[in-house]
Amino acid sequence: MTGVRLHPFTLLAIAGALPALAWILPAPAGAAVTAGVALLLTLTPGALLTPAASPGFTVSGSSPGRRPGLVVLRTAVLTAAPFWLFLLLLHDVPTTLSIGLRITTMVASFVWLVAALEPARLVEAMVAAGWSASIAYLLAATLSAVPVLKARAQRIVEAQRCRGLSSRGGIAARLRALRALALPLVLSALHEVDERALALETRGLVPGIHRTPLAPPPDPVVERAARWVLLLACLSALIRRLM
Amino acid sequence: MSIRLLALVPVAAAVSLALSAVVDAVALPLFLDTTGTILATALAGPAVGIATGIVTSAVNTLRNPTFWPFVVVQIIVALYAWVAARAGLFRSFRTAVPAGLGLGVIASVTSTPISYVVFGCTTTGGIALTTALGKALGLPPLGACFFGSFVSDFGDKAVTFALVTSVLHALPRRAAARFPWALRAIGAA
Repeated sequence: MTGVRLHPFTLLAIAGALPALAWILPAPAGAAVTAGVALLLTLTPGALLTPAASPGFTVSGSSPGRRPGLVVLRTAVLTAAPFWLFLLLLHDVPTTLSIGLRITTMVASFVWLVAALEPARLVEAMVAAGWSASIAYLLAATLSAVPVLKARAQRIVEAQRCRGLSSRGGIAARLRALRALALPLVLSALHEVDERALALETRGLVPGIHRTPLAPPPDPVVERAARWVLLLACLSALIRRLM
Repeated sequence: MSIRLLALVPVAAAVSLALSAVVDAVALPLFLDTTGTILATALAGPAVGIATGIVTSAVNTLRNPTFWPFVVVQIIVALYAWVAARAGLFRSFRTAVPAGLGLGVIASVTSTPISYVVFGCTTTGGIALTTALGKALGLPPLGACFFGSFVSDFGDKAVTFALVTSVLHALPRRAAARFPWALRAIGAA
């Protein structure tokens, strides 16, 4: 399941350009085109849904023979659907159509991006492009820390319940429960900072040091040119819209 | 930025995102998604707070793309928290909660134009429903949008400030002293 492996910067450029065009081009026609393209993207072979590549979504529940692209499309549609409902609640049909198509473009583009982009490849690409290793670390470390802290939060909730903490009742009781649950989580996270700092120093990740990527993703000339084309397309559409 | 402060940013950002599990457990209508930004600012100053806010928004965007335009709110929250820390407003709940309520007003004023222009006030179900309530009360579209944002932000930011105050006071002095702003934020330096 390798499919088309676009460079991480190309994936980001596409996912950024589509929503930008959706808002720049006249609605609803322009947004309809971008929404269509974004939804089609979710079906492309590049949109591989693997747990490592998709922190927000899982493939559990999909049948063995099902194309991952369909799962990505379903995720995009299910994420965008509530917005349409609320838009209909608050606005007339033409406004709903205009804003709804723009939001659908944004949702589908990012859902596709999350499915297709591997954080490790992004870090390698950033380091290869000369970005500071610190910036790459910030993104990668946060992505890996969130599930760890969420699991710890769940353990704290269960432990406090075993000790008799009730998370029901009036607002004051719930706020007291919130403090009893949140405080151990935040304090334990802060105590990790020193360990992480020591680990970073040991690995030589000090500011101003340029690291060498182990396996930088290939960045063909065609893709680099395509990224410039996307940027120019957004700029020219913006200028045309403003004139 | 020193290595310790660099290590603080992902931890604080992850705290903001992991607190949703705690909020779910107590079933309160809160987000607490700026906790890490405010905490990082109170501990280490505005640069670390802004970095935490941006990283929080970036990672949150991967879960829900509608979060990215609100990165501006995270930056304003960090700047406000820095002013609060300099003034020592985290010294007690009596000073922190009103400061949090003030941030609630500022955050809703900042997020309303983004929510209105980009999403038509439909960022989350709760905000959409309170906006609909504002419309039903006869408010103009932008006023109803502000009403929706205000209802969700006002209490949330006060609770967040109170929580950060609790954390700062629960930190051992030796641990707090390792961060440049922690003691000043609680009025101990």
